[in-house]
Amino acid sequence: MNKEETITKLKEIIKPYINNVEAFENLTEATDFIVDLNINSANLIDIMLDLEDAFVIDIENQDMEKMLDVKAALEIIEIKLANK
Amino acid sequence: MIGNDIVDLALALKESNWKRKGYLAKIFTKLEQLLIIKSENPDNMVWNLWSRKEAAYKIFNRNTEVKIYNPIQFKCYDTYKSIGKVMNNGVVYYTKTEINLDYIHTVSVLNITDFESIKLLNRTNEIIKIEGIPYLKVANNKEMNPISISNHGRFEKIVSLF
Ligand SMILES: CC(C)(COP(=O)(O)OP(=O)(O)OC[C@H]1O[C@@H](n2cnc3c(N)ncnc32)[C@H](O)[C@@H]1OP(=O)(O)O)[C@@H](O)C(=O)NCCC(=O)NCCS
Repeated sequence: MNKEETITKLKEIIKPYINNVEAFENLTEATDFIVDLNINSANLIDIMLDLEDAFVIDIENQDMEKMLDVKAALEIIEIKLANK
Repeated sequence: MIGNDIVDLALALKESNWKRKGYLAKIFTKLEQLLIIKSENPDNMVWNLWSRKEAAYKIFNRNTEVKIYNPIQFKCYDTYKSIGKVMNNGVVYYTKTEINLDYIHTVSVLNITDFESIKLLNRTNEIIKIEGIPYLKVANNKEMNPISISNHGRFEKIVSLF
């Protein structure tokens, strides 16, 4: 899976939880889930679970700790996919 | 130092399905999960514990300038006492939690005696944010008082120490 595909899949997953459509449409690697997309912090857990299902990976707490923006999420997903 | 967090119970019910597989284990320690499962009102216990973690996290975030998402490492204790505790990395955050039919609100402090000097503010107060962290401008001097803001659904609470 290349980066574009990963981003597309990631966007699909976070879409149901966003509260700022404009920031979502202009999403970049720097986009912060809570600050920019106004995602409720409890819904970040749903995103983690959805990512685990969609990519068939396990996200540990040490991984999740950093996954507050698109860049960090992509990095973790890539590492997990590479180590599968 | 002060932190707070409010949960609109009606909105939480709509926004979050904590019963989904794997959800609780990502946020709560085994002990906390037991509290939830054994509770007469598991919904309330989920948001009760969550608001404690978030309130403590706000103090942690202000003091360390670190941003992390690791709720399981903010561990709730003494949840049945009027003053509870959240522990993270050896630091104790004291908590007071108000529960009613509409919302759950936790205020957290580092110094237990600070509970005597908590003040509720509103948006008419002059609030400034520095790197997203809110302060109150104190009249007649240049000092700034740390405050904490939380909103969720129908509710907003702003707290400071005076
Ligand atoms: C700080 C944070 C927890 C806010 O929580 P939230 O539930 O999304 O939103 P709340 O309404 O409760 O809080 C938002 C307000 O808190 C203020 N705030 C941000 N950091 C703060 C801090 N360290 N102390 C006090 N207030 C803070 C913000 O200015 C904002 O004010 P606004 O309503 O005027 O915009 C969240 O933005 C965040 O950064 N989370 C990252 C990680 C995390 O959630 N960890 C928790 C478990 S480890």
